[in-house]
Amino acid sequence: MSSQLNKYMLIVLQIVLLFGFYLVGGFLQTTFALPVPGSVVGMLLLLIGLYLKWIPVQWISQGSSALLNHLPLLFVPVTVGIMQHLDFFSGKSLWLVPIVLLSTWIVMGTTGLLGQFLANRKEWGK
Amino acid sequence: MMLLQMIFWLFMTILLYVVFRRLYQLLPYPFMIPVLTCTVVLVIVLTSFDVSYDTYFSGGKWIDALLGPAIVALAFPLYQQRKLLNKFKIEILATVLTASLLGILSGYWLAVVSGYNQMIVSTIISKNVTTPVAMEVASMTGGEPAFAVIFVMIAGIGGAVTGPWLFQILGISNFLGVGMAFGGASHAIGTAKALEYGQREAAISSIGLSLCALCVSILGPILLKWIS
Repeated sequence: MSSQLNKYMLIVLQIVLLFGFYLVGGFLQTTFALPVPGSVVGMLLLLIGLYLKWIPVQWISQGSSALLNHLPLLFVPVTVGIMQHLDFFSGKSLWLVPIVLLSTWIVMGTTGLLGQFLANRKEWGK
Repeated sequence: MMLLQMIFWLFMTILLYVVFRRLYQLLPYPFMIPVLTCTVVLVIVLTSFDVSYDTYFSGGKWIDALLGPAIVALAFPLYQQRKLLNKFKIEILATVLTASLLGILSGYWLAVVSGYNQMIVSTIISKNVTTPVAMEVASMTGGEPAFAVIFVMIAGIGGAVTGPWLFQILGISNFLGVGMAFGGASHAIGTAKALEYGQREAAISSIGLSLCALCVSILGPILLKWIS
């Protein structure tokens, strides 16, 4: 029981640390008017910290896994916002569905073919 | 009363998520993904009981507050996969740039040619990246975050469902091609699908989704300013 509790405390503490990176990222974004979202700035800061070993990976591994495992839950409050735009699914907006799909196929097909070509070339080059 | 509603919708969201996550494990169809089923049920419940989105969000915002830290947490898989990243750095860089640029430009041109307004165009360019980043890019460029969510879900679910068929037609079977195509075009939902192909495909896909999110968040606003 107490080890269970410790585990949850650890996850909460690690999420607080991740939140700290998010806040610093947001602060840097607004201060320097960066074109990148504050959360992405925070991600880069953490990545640099991990690479330079300023932040031991154990400090964030469990909190990160907990958040990433339940990523779908975190989207829900925002996706429910669709209820304010239900008219989207009638009339002209509906044409955006095939447009998004077409664009997705363009990205998927080209990226897939390029990735396969480059990886094969590397294997043969050896 | 307000506090009670707040707590109610907070727990309702978590409860529905737990139930639908379990259901998805039993019925693993792409259109059964929890984010889709939870949203549909909540929208039906809220509209039929005449509850406003603001009331719902007073509870939901506590969950929403974790989205930012979750993006920061993407640094963890990137760091974990650093060996794979290092071995294929040029290949990964080239495919990430291709996916990001094609996603932005094809979305932009298709929407402009079809006569959509600036709000839709600004929103559609970031549809291939993970929801929170797409939402932030949309709100930074004069788009609509709620629409960004819809586009991202169409790109994610559509790509995960049709990807295997597309790969068969184009003869794509290599792990780097499959992984990068799923991560670059269909973000987290594509990565979940890539896991069915194998660990290496999923690793490449999660690298792809993190780097494309970074790339699009930088290139999207800049390109949008240039071309329009």
